[in-house]
Amino acid sequence: MTHHHRTEKSAEHQEVSALIPWYVNETIDEAERQRVENHVAVCAECRADLSVQQRIFEGIDAEPALDYMPVASLKRLQTRLDALQSAPALAPPPEQQSDGRMPWRGWMAASIAAMAVAVALLAVDGWVRFEARLTQPNYRTVTNSSPRPQGEVIRAVFSPTITLVELQSILDEAQLKIVSGPTEAGVYSLASKSTLPVRSSLALLRRHPAVRFAEGTLPEPEAVNPQ
Amino acid sequence: MTLPAKNSPKERDIALLAAIAAGDRHALEELYLSYHRRLARFLSRFTPRYENVEEIINDTFMVVWQNAKEFRNASQVSTWIIGIAYRTALKSFRRQKNHAATGSLEDYPEQTVDPTFDAEVHDWLKHGLSRLPIEQRLTLELAYHMGHSLEEIAIITECPVGTVKARMFHAREKLRQYLPTLSGGPPEMPARLG
Repeated sequence: MTHHHRTEKSAEHQEVSALIPWYVNETIDEAERQRVENHVAVCAECRADLSVQQRIFEGIDAEPALDYMPVASLKRLQTRLDALQSAPALAPPPEQQSDGRMPWRGWMAASIAAMAVAVALLAVDGWVRFEARLTQPNYRTVTNSSPRPQGEVIRAVFSPTITLVELQSILDEAQLKIVSGPTEAGVYSLASKSTLPVRSSLALLRRHPAVRFAEGTLPEPEAVNPQ
Repeated sequence: MTLPAKNSPKERDIALLAAIAAGDRHALEELYLSYHRRLARFLSRFTPRYENVEEIINDTFMVVWQNAKEFRNASQVSTWIIGIAYRTALKSFRRQKNHAATGSLEDYPEQTVDPTFDAEVHDWLKHGLSRLPIEQRLTLELAYHMGHSLEEIAIITECPVGTVKARMFHAREKLRQYLPTLSGGPPEMPARLG
């Protein structure tokens, strides 16, 4: 075998070797696939590597994956977006900053306008907070004063890492269905989907470690005390 | 370039991103929900803590919201989003690495599996992956877990194709040394492999 021949063979070996991961995940085109197969047929080293890579690929693919509940995460993103959208309200738009004529007048006007808006907002905010203090108790609850969804009998909070399958299984067992939620605090409103008494559904819910909180929303004694 | 079929996921993604660029929050929510599972599954391979996974996903979609207007159809929307998630995750993992007491990726919780007591291929693989430098592991996971092509990974990671090949080469070499059971050799203790 000549030196030239060995070099060519080595280059082919290296190029094909680099393609093996994408041969394994089936994202290379037909010509490259054929090239890999032709080389692997005559190269024991690449054949062994292909076998290893296939086992790694299958091992990674076979690992169980958790399913998460995206809705609660989305609520937190929405809160961040709300904050982002309300933050730049006082900032002047870019074109005002690039006004070349008498810039100090523009800045002065913008500053006065911004201060006026800020003072107005602070005044409004202060009044709203003052009113809120007068009318609201100094504590928070997981429930709110918004109208309850029709049929709601239980409010519950689940572990943030609960999977969809687990949640559905818990609800099926307790004969419940989601009527709304989760709220920003992660609270679900649940309604009965059978004739099972609410207190039995509550007892079934509370048995699960993934249920962080579950309370009846109806005034019946059995909804509050599952005993 | 072939046009996607009507109402294909690619076409839907482009329509949603256009709506997001116009300030449509509902479109962002729809896109978020359609990518959450895929991203969460990918990211949870690097960190078992859902708070970290959620933070990376939400940071990613904050970038999507703020930069949707910059998308120029140079790649698929999915590749663009996964690229943002990749860079966000990389920053997060590096930050975690810097905050770790020993500053080593071996501190990642995934490597708590002790192969001394369990020589199953699955555990060897998990342990071997946790010992790879983060860029190499992300490249390997993008190929083997997410199923991306070489060119897509180059776009996602903003690296030349040659760099992607080199990262994959080094990842494979390290795993080959670390996972003797996969290549048919006798199981050895990782400590002996240095």
